[in-house]
Amino acid sequence: MAQIKTMALRWPNFKPELGRYPQTVVWCGQLAGLERAFTLSIEYGSPLAVSSLLCRKMPVVRVLFPRLVLNFAAEEEAPLPHVYFEDPDYILSPLCLFDPRTGEWNRTMYIADTIVPWAARWLACYELWETTGQWYGGGRHVDLKENADVA
Amino acid sequence: MNDLCRPYELLGGSRPIPLFSIGERLLAATAIKIELLPSQHRLAVERKNVLEKHLERDGSPLKGLIRIFYQQGSMAIGATIKAKYRDEGFDIDIIVEVEVGSSVKPDHILNLLYTAVCGEPGSRYFDCTERQTRCVTVYYADGMHLDLTPAVLLNELDPRFSFIFHSKQEEPRSNDQRIPTNSYAFADEYNQRCPVDHLFAEEYKRRVLAVDPFSAQVLAEADSVPVPQHSTEVGGKSAVTVALQLLKRNRNIRYHSRQGRIPPSVMLACLALDVAESGRTIGENLRIIASHILGEMEQAKARGKLIRVVNPRCTPDCFTDRWPENSEAQEVYIKDLRLFITQLDKFLDESQPLKERVQALEAMFGESPTREVVKEFAVELGQMVQSGNHGLAASGSVLPAILVLPSARPKIRPNTFFGTPWPENQNR
Repeated sequence: MAQIKTMALRWPNFKPELGRYPQTVVWCGQLAGLERAFTLSIEYGSPLAVSSLLCRKMPVVRVLFPRLVLNFAAEEEAPLPHVYFEDPDYILSPLCLFDPRTGEWNRTMYIADTIVPWAARWLACYELWETTGQWYGGGRHVDLKENADVA
Repeated sequence: MNDLCRPYELLGGSRPIPLFSIGERLLAATAIKIELLPSQHRLAVERKNVLEKHLERDGSPLKGLIRIFYQQGSMAIGATIKAKYRDEGFDIDIIVEVEVGSSVKPDHILNLLYTAVCGEPGSRYFDCTERQTRCVTVYYADGMHLDLTPAVLLNELDPRFSFIFHSKQEEPRSNDQRIPTNSYAFADEYNQRCPVDHLFAEEYKRRVLAVDPFSAQVLAEADSVPVPQHSTEVGGKSAVTVALQLLKRNRNIRYHSRQGRIPPSVMLACLALDVAESGRTIGENLRIIASHILGEMEQAKARGKLIRVVNPRCTPDCFTDRWPENSEAQEVYIKDLRLFITQLDKFLDESQPLKERVQALEAMFGESPTREVVKEFAVELGQMVQSGNHGLAASGSVLPAILVLPSARPKIRPNTFFGTPWPENQNR
């Protein structure tokens, strides 16, 4: 409930709805990184021992509209920067906004104060990437040899 | 804006923030890339002073005949931009007012000035001076060139109302002309009527000095060396003038591969004054000025005429005496301006992808300055994102920290963007 209240306070245009699964919530709203508004969904749920749903481990942010554009010719981060690639529709892949192994985010932190501003940063860098083919936001990737189980 | 969003509120509330939007920031940065920076302005002034002394040297055919030597054209109104055919140079226009009597023959006075500038074989200007139809041009290795236009005062009671001279060497002398002009009065008119907004001027100056590698030296010497000041210092730069510079740049881009004359800068400046008002952004000025010029030309076209613009302080001084030569030339620029306004609207539309806005910017002002400007913007924004030193607008937009109230700026935790490799790469 605290997450829902804080989201309503900080980002009132993000409206919460019950998620597809028990004890999950989905916020939908508009967010800009630079000036263009994107419609995002943020899915989040209570942890359940038996569930492997990503949204029970971390808030799952997806860009719904305008649809992201894959760019296989990009100099960096082709074909889409910093996402957890998810088929069948890669364009709706969840954004990778923090390194889950370093404790940058945990359940005591408000989504409104972390995930949403980080998504704004991602969108800003995405627009630059779409324009220049370069990623200016820094970051790192899963080292497959080190750990394949990020989610 | 909802009160609940106060932590994300912008500095100043209703106070206008100059160069706030991305469009305005990119337009200002583009203008700075193509304009005469303070250190280049100083260099131009020094070269002008050296030339003046050179013309008054012992043995010069103009010794004792020069009444005054003053800048005209874009430099006099602070609107100098890089030259039409080169990206590295500037054209500086100087009037050389001489006492030779108004009956002097045009070819004689132009040849006299040419001889005086050239000097003896081996002298510094001998191999880099060219006699033109109305002026004498001195070329410098760094791309700058100074156009020296000889003038003769017409009326002692109307200072600077003069004749300049037209004499094309390959044509018969009967085609030579004396042309009334008062560029000094026009520059004065422009500088008086062109509105300056303090906040904009300060912010623009800050950005100019930030990109001029020699600005610190120029400022340090400014107190001790009497040099005419750069436009950022004389009352501040006007957003109208910045827009005018950009419009001239667009004209240069369009005419780069075309033969013939180009729409004269002074005509654009004069028409810009018709609609100059304070309180507008660069983008607003660009749209209003371009639309006004287009409207004037379309009206002329509808009457079956060519546009005619005269010096508001000297009506015999016709700014459109050499362009447009005919209705076809007029139509070319009408189409250019229509295209420009379409591109500008696309660029300023915040709902468009940045990629498409940048493509419009590049189409308007050329690849070279646009790519530099976008790269610098991207690097700056990347640094803000990675350092966390930024604010957020209520919409989420990442903003420079300076635009957000310090007391209301939420400390946003740093984050490390993460992710999985593209699945096809994982399978390799």
